[in-house]
Amino acid sequence: MSFEPLQQTAPPLALVDVTKRYESGGGGAVTALSHVDFTVASGEVVAVVGPSGSGKSTMLNILGLLDEPTEGSVELRGDTTAGLTEAERTDARRESLGFVFQDFHLLPTLSAVENVRLPTAFLPGDATDRARELLELVGLGDRLDHTPDELSGGQKQRVAIARALVNEPDVLLADEPTGNLDRDTGTDILEEIRRITDEAGVGVVAVTHDDLVTDYADRTVELVDGVLRDV
Amino acid sequence: MSDRFPALSLATRNLSRQRLRAALAALGIVIGVFAVVTLGLLGNALSVAAQEELGGLGDQVIVSPAEESERETLDSREVAAVQRVADGRGTVVPLQSTGGTVRGTGGQSVAQIYGTDNPQALFGNGSDAVPASHRQGALVGSGLAEDLDLRPGSTITVEGNEYRVVGVLPPVEGISPLQPDSAVVLPPSEFASDDVSQVVVRADSPDDARAVASGVRERLNSRQQRVSVFSLTSVLDQISEFFNLLNGFLLAIAGVSLVVAGVSIFNVMLMTVAERRGEIGVLRAVGIHRKQVLRTLLIEATLLGVVGGAVGALLGTLTVVAVATQTELPLWAVLQPGNVFVPLGAFAFGVLIALVGGLYPAYRAAWEPPVEALRG
Repeated sequence: MSFEPLQQTAPPLALVDVTKRYESGGGGAVTALSHVDFTVASGEVVAVVGPSGSGKSTMLNILGLLDEPTEGSVELRGDTTAGLTEAERTDARRESLGFVFQDFHLLPTLSAVENVRLPTAFLPGDATDRARELLELVGLGDRLDHTPDELSGGQKQRVAIARALVNEPDVLLADEPTGNLDRDTGTDILEEIRRITDEAGVGVVAVTHDDLVTDYADRTVELVDGVLRDV
Repeated sequence: MSDRFPALSLATRNLSRQRLRAALAALGIVIGVFAVVTLGLLGNALSVAAQEELGGLGDQVIVSPAEESERETLDSREVAAVQRVADGRGTVVPLQSTGGTVRGTGGQSVAQIYGTDNPQALFGNGSDAVPASHRQGALVGSGLAEDLDLRPGSTITVEGNEYRVVGVLPPVEGISPLQPDSAVVLPPSEFASDDVSQVVVRADSPDDARAVASGVRERLNSRQQRVSVFSLTSVLDQISEFFNLLNGFLLAIAGVSLVVAGVSIFNVMLMTVAERRGEIGVLRAVGIHRKQVLRTLLIEATLLGVVGGAVGALLGTLTVVAVATQTELPLWAVLQPGNVFVPLGAFAFGVLIALVGGLYPAYRAAWEPPVEALRG
């Protein structure tokens, strides 16, 4: 049980000296991230801002185990994820991370409840009850069986948030979560995210252009040309 | 979304999204399977019907004196030899034959006159009217009976002798080297001599007929041509070989149409996964494994084959049954047990083609890095 304190102190998700380089067409390399150190704590909302092409998406993809760093490592609860197989990374994503996308990315053929429980679809057990609870939590208790085309943009993003939470993740990764929403709806969504993080102790990393997001964040960091700095 | 078969449930929903496209892709399989089933069933039925028609011929071996021997009859040693060769392989019926004038109530006619003590084996064709042992009276062929207005109980005159008609032979359905339809069959005792003009062996199977024919040739004709052995098994073999070739050729053409259907499934699945790239990226991002995505997409493609194949097999079978009821093709030849494998096989082939058609698109979609898929 001597691990217990360590487990608790290790941040749910961290980048340790991460550098990401892409081969560019001309034979040279483009550095998207340069020696980035970053952690997110449980219950903390971090906004990542920066101009287009500054490496925000790359950073989010690497945090989300969708992409691998060229150097450095991603740590989940203090354990490095380097050397994990594709299947293990897939499992890690499902177990520890939630994703919210700018375009919501709901499956058009599935109802709200089915979309929410999608990450658990291939797992034993039925997550329908949890999906219902989550939808009620985000204020869509009366839209459970609606398909995405019957929902407004804000409602879709709420479904997406519920989907991101269905597996009880440690960290929720949001890519421009308000990017396709008007200001009022965006405010509602951010309040929702804020409330859920506080209640469930989930860490949130939101990549954004939107100043509104930074208003709801505990902390804002800025990426400029692949270099991360506090704001 | 059923929890037990999430891949199946996702796949059916995805198909329902583009109903027309899915229906057209399945239609390709329907047409291909239909072609295989109709051509396969018809080919088999024709082949079986033809072999049944010719079957009596194939099972018969007729041994008669060779032309070179300039004899009209077989001697008892030769008959005994045939009997030994055919022992256990079929029924041996020595047959006397001659020609003569037959007069009945309805007129007179020149007919073949056969003498045998076992008419059932040669002419019975399963009919109870023909006795296995023939001791008195005359049996008349169906054609002759009609011409001369004969029925059991009538009296006929054959070469000056009167006989009571004890039975009418059933009409011959297949092709036979003997022509019992216009013949009279009398007991052997009515013939002046005991000499046998030919021995007919009704073999149990075409293989037995083949063995009897070669056995008789070996025994009797090794030094000189004493008897001529008439057997159509080899002709039948050639006929059935021809049918097999024809069936194979027709099935190959039908198979090509199924392959084309597979290409259209391939095309549809490529379009589908290209359109759903982002969705598949999301599935991968939220923790659905590559193999689970692959399975879902493969089920989607395979379902097109299952539906198309089932419809095609059903339509094809019904069509061939309809053809059989409207034409000379006997229904039993279509409904023979061996024909069950044609629709089943065509269905399985259709499903397999759809599965193969979906393989590459599904693999490409499932293995695409989610980052790229999400980038759109």
